[in-house]
Amino acid sequence: MKHDEDFSMSTIFRRLRYFFGRSRHDADLRAEIEAHRTLRQDAFERDGLAPEDAARASRRALGNVVLAVSDVRDVWTVRTIDSLSQDVRSALRGLRKSPGFALVAIGTLALGIGANTALFSIFSSLILRPLPVRDPGSLALLTDGSWSYPIWKEIRARETELFDGAFAWSGQSFDLSPSGQSDPVDGAYVSGRLFDVLGVTAIRGRMITPADDGGAAPEGPVAVISHRLWRQRFAAASDVVGRQLTVQRVPFTIVGVMPPGFFGPDVGRMTDVMVPFAAEPLIRGQESRLTSAGSWWLQIMVRLKPEQSLEQANAALRVVQPQIVESAITIRREVSEPLTLVSAATGNSSLRTRFETPLFAMVVAVGLVLLVACANIASLLLARALARRRELSVRLALGSSRWRIAQLLFIESLIVAVTGAAFGLVFAKWSSVLLVQQLSTWQRTVSLDLALDWRVLAFTAALACLSAIAAGVAPVLGLESVTAGEALKDAGRGMAGDRRFAVRSTLVVAQIAVSLVLVVAAGLFLRSFASLNQLPLGFVPEPLLVAELNLQASGGPPEERGARVDRLRDAAAAVPGVRSASVSAIRRLTGGGWQSGLVGVGDGPISRSRPPLLLDATTPGWFETMGMPLRSGRDFEAGDRVGSGPVAIVNEAFVRRYLPGEQPIGQRVRLGFDPNTRHEIVGVVGDAVYTSPREGMLATMYVPVAQQARKTFWPTVLLTINAGPGRRVAVKRDVAAALTRADPTVAFTFETFDQLVEATVTQERLIAMLSAFFGGLALLLAAVGLYGVVAHAVGARQTEIGLRMALGAAPSSIVRLVFQRVGVMIAAGLAFGLAGSLWATRFVEALLFNVEARDSVTFAGAAAVLVAVGVLAAWVPARRAARLDPATVLREG
Amino acid sequence: MGLTNTPSDLLPGTLELLILKTLVSGAKHGYGIVEHLRMASDDVLRVGESALYPALQRLLLNGWVKAEWGTSENNRRARYYTLTARGRKQLAAERAEFDRMVGAIQQVLGTT
Repeated sequence: MKHDEDFSMSTIFRRLRYFFGRSRHDADLRAEIEAHRTLRQDAFERDGLAPEDAARASRRALGNVVLAVSDVRDVWTVRTIDSLSQDVRSALRGLRKSPGFALVAIGTLALGIGANTALFSIFSSLILRPLPVRDPGSLALLTDGSWSYPIWKEIRARETELFDGAFAWSGQSFDLSPSGQSDPVDGAYVSGRLFDVLGVTAIRGRMITPADDGGAAPEGPVAVISHRLWRQRFAAASDVVGRQLTVQRVPFTIVGVMPPGFFGPDVGRMTDVMVPFAAEPLIRGQESRLTSAGSWWLQIMVRLKPEQSLEQANAALRVVQPQIVESAITIRREVSEPLTLVSAATGNSSLRTRFETPLFAMVVAVGLVLLVACANIASLLLARALARRRELSVRLALGSSRWRIAQLLFIESLIVAVTGAAFGLVFAKWSSVLLVQQLSTWQRTVSLDLALDWRVLAFTAALACLSAIAAGVAPVLGLESVTAGEALKDAGRGMAGDRRFAVRSTLVVAQIAVSLVLVVAAGLFLRSFASLNQLPLGFVPEPLLVAELNLQASGGPPEERGARVDRLRDAAAAVPGVRSASVSAIRRLTGGGWQSGLVGVGDGPISRSRPPLLLDATTPGWFETMGMPLRSGRDFEAGDRVGSGPVAIVNEAFVRRYLPGEQPIGQRVRLGFDPNTRHEIVGVVGDAVYTSPREGMLATMYVPVAQQARKTFWPTVLLTINAGPGRRVAVKRDVAAALTRADPTVAFTFETFDQLVEATVTQERLIAMLSAFFGGLALLLAAVGLYGVVAHAVGARQTEIGLRMALGAAPSSIVRLVFQRVGVMIAAGLAFGLAGSLWATRFVEALLFNVEARDSVTFAGAAAVLVAVGVLAAWVPARRAARLDPATVLREG
Repeated sequence: MGLTNTPSDLLPGTLELLILKTLVSGAKHGYGIVEHLRMASDDVLRVGESALYPALQRLLLNGWVKAEWGTSENNRRARYYTLTARGRKQLAAERAEFDRMVGAIQQVLGTT
């Protein structure tokens, strides 16, 4: 007949139900006892007592109700809970008594958990979080890549037959400035049903509707703006609907404001302005892509019908694929692959593939840092537990169970972990914003919603629990050695053996090993980043300023653009401080460009050229502006115009690839898209980076801007200005004014080549920065851990050391004594760490550039750094030991 | 009306056993249980509320009885306890155990 603690599932459940309904339960009980009393009173009255006497008698008979209620409570609540709160109080008291320990432990955990949470919150919002729209689970994206408007029209015609709706969009950079220098924001052309299908409604005015697909609404071209833009640019004005907004120099009317939290279908991008596709011809004029079957520029998303699976939707789509393709295809790109829908519950993002590997590598790195932090706390907790041996041993002697003592120690690590996690959340909130800023470049502003949602909080809570377990197990294991009364016997006085430090030493070895792995990784990434930065560019970026001139936004016909460009170039060149100004067609360092896959050199036929030949068009003087040397022949001249013989300049890589060992000047080149034009090579220039420094010097051919057919003149060109070093800021302002004076309708943005170069190494810079930070953090933690163990060991062996010194040991031999142990720990840590690093490098290989994954210099350097840090950490306590005064120690010890 | 036979005077668990037995004949409220025990034991067992209610709660906790509010014979609101299937099983088991214990005690007392 046992009635003490029963912990079967059903009783635990009933206990919990009691716990959460306590007040009702108590009230029930009081009512029940009162009912009991009245029943007894009734009985007394039946026995002939007067009502008042009966009431009094029944109350007396009842005894102590309060006691009964509290007894009942005891039945339900478990004694462990009581002892738990006792332990929490005692642990808190203990932590308050040693604020240094609490500070270090909580601080390191806050950093460790915070860094993990920060990365996870980025990971979560980029990859895990569903779009904040109605039923994101039934959205699907048409893959792979982008689609033309004619294809979209075909799909739209079948959207209700095949699906529960579909929409298309195309992310754009929209210039909101009415004149002069551009003011770009992220925007998009969208189809009419986008908001309807997503289930997003306006908080002011209306969203774009299918009616807008037909063309201009009564209020003219319409636009909707994001909640953020509304607050930032319009100060959340309540009369924003109806106001004007200039988009790409075209006046639009704002008809609505999107709800807060909605950023569009692209994750990582805050779409601030959306306009209907029907407005595209207003902006791009004759070059509108709405009718072009050769422009692949939009994304298509559909909503599946209820109960419709992705497979069914794909099957339905493929049935009509021939009709869709037939009406919308050109020879430039075949749609031979089956059209495929993939789930788009988490939206669409080009950032995912780009940052997946580095994010993953960093998540592993911060995980390791957290491990090192936990090892530190474990070591500290263990030291505290050992310092309390006497107390614990007394507790054991008094009949406390080992389990109870383990609980006491564990509570301590749990409190540290939970507090650390709380501070970690604050740190994460701050650092994740900082990290996301680092992902942005001049080209692309990365914007992620980093709200601490349940996923992030659950992750942090899980980390806190894991940390508590990781940090709490060691002290409990370390206590195995404590036996009842044992500590009472030696009363903490004798010579402490080394064995009690075994667990802590193991922890230090593990810390050193993990730190070495992180330091090696940091070294590899830093070297990789450095070698990327040392790559030759082939031009001199320091004095250069690049203005992108947008000639399309102002709506003039393409035929006039050549003349406008000349005017603008002349205006810029006349600005004081400008050494030279010249124009080229293609922006460098974006990873892509103008290219031809079919090339014919000399008398040979036109043949496939892989990788394709890169092309650019320049005005005379461009090579000089850029600081690219002319190797032979001549630059373009004013005489190279439409009508004169087509000429070209090639770089040395071109000569190496297509004309090895031949005299290039005078040779002819034909290109696949214009096979009848024979470009005569008139000059050879030095190599310069075109796509990105990583890809090196690629074969490039330059043609004169002036020989470009007037009808197909580029909508944007680049005006490169050589301003001389240090003068760029002043020159930029003057050039901007001069350009607006010369052509009030032109839109332009400025960049420097430094920014462009930087953008090509964003990922590497981020990884190098983060890994260096984490490596340093791990190193610091390991040093603290090592210091702690050595200091503690020295403290515990004080008597022994004092005795040795009294017997004539020199201070240097004491230092040697300490370092013998330290040396063993460091050596073991290095051995494990090197083995771990050799194994782990295979995972970072893909992220390295021009550095061997098993780079011996990096490995040796990392090991040297660790040894130095280790020696430093051990030196302080060792010196203290060597300076002990034996007389004092022996007297007090 | 002095209270006698608080739980410590009985063998541990005996009160619960008696309550379970009392409920075999049908649902009863707390007062009814006390009265039933008193009468069935010829006034020997007088259970006080401070013992009865914790015992009832223990039975509830273990799922051996259920409690429901109802109306008493003289139109008072009262909480009625009924035996659950698990409670019936428990009663049988405890009954056997109790018999064994009492037998053992008598045996000890019987030896000189």
